[in-house]
Amino acid sequence: MFGIFKPRTFFNLANTSIFWLKIILAFALIVGLILALVFSPIDYLQKDTVRIMYVHVPSSWISLFIFLIIGISSFISLIFKVRVFSVYAKSLAPIGLVFSLISVVTGSLWGYPTWGTFWSWDGRLTSMFALVLTYILYVYLWSFIKNYNLAEKITNIVGIVGLINIPIIKFSVAWWNTLHQPASITLTAAPTIHSSMLAPLLIMFFSFCILSLIIFLIRYKYEIINFRVNKK
Amino acid sequence: MILNFLNMSGYGLYIWLSYAFTALSLISLYYVSVKKLNSIKNIEHLYQSEKIEKVSVPAQATKF
Repeated sequence: MFGIFKPRTFFNLANTSIFWLKIILAFALIVGLILALVFSPIDYLQKDTVRIMYVHVPSSWISLFIFLIIGISSFISLIFKVRVFSVYAKSLAPIGLVFSLISVVTGSLWGYPTWGTFWSWDGRLTSMFALVLTYILYVYLWSFIKNYNLAEKITNIVGIVGLINIPIIKFSVAWWNTLHQPASITLTAAPTIHSSMLAPLLIMFFSFCILSLIIFLIRYKYEIINFRVNKK
Repeated sequence: MILNFLNMSGYGLYIWLSYAFTALSLISLYYVSVKKLNSIKNIEHLYQSEKIEKVSVPAQATKF
């Protein structure tokens, strides 16, 4: 059932594709940054601070998406005992942690000129902070517990329990009255932002996705070699 | 013109700090990941050469 996810598939992918992914990343990042910092229009309310959106929003999306993959991988690893899924999750966790930190820090830097405060314990910000803590716990447990099987089991449980927070983050702006604005882009409705802002946002998101994939392939390769070395 | 661009209608500090933090975090993550991979590759090479030595020593020993 999970034959396509065998370790060699991604290991070979890492060997062959990183160079081309780097070229795509360089091109997308240059176009994205020029559009975001130069050509994107100024918001009539937030003025130039809206440019923070082009790093804040893609980082938030990626940190949520990565935790979703970690949760699903942890579930498959724990229930079906397919070890490679915990290796996927372990390789992805530091990437998700960094993107969640970027989301929180850039959100604070955007919040001060917009709301007048760097931080407020409202629904969205608190649930996002909880995601950062979950990521830290997940990464820390892998490095703290020396017994691989035990670390695998405990981190799988953390990954599955942490999934509860994902819908809370997503719907926090609808469930509670928060400082954070509601989502402008959803999967079910047309985006409420202008195409001149949507284009750089999506290009920056694409760039961050490619960068995440490159780093994931590097870390995955590391984990597989590390596993092989420790087995010897 | 460049000063206006850097100033970003008075919000330059927040905007450039956001981009700088993002760039620094992602570059550090990439650098650490590559460094880890290179170090484990070196260890694997050491293991492989050790394995070859282990095989070759008894073979040489039999000559003497």
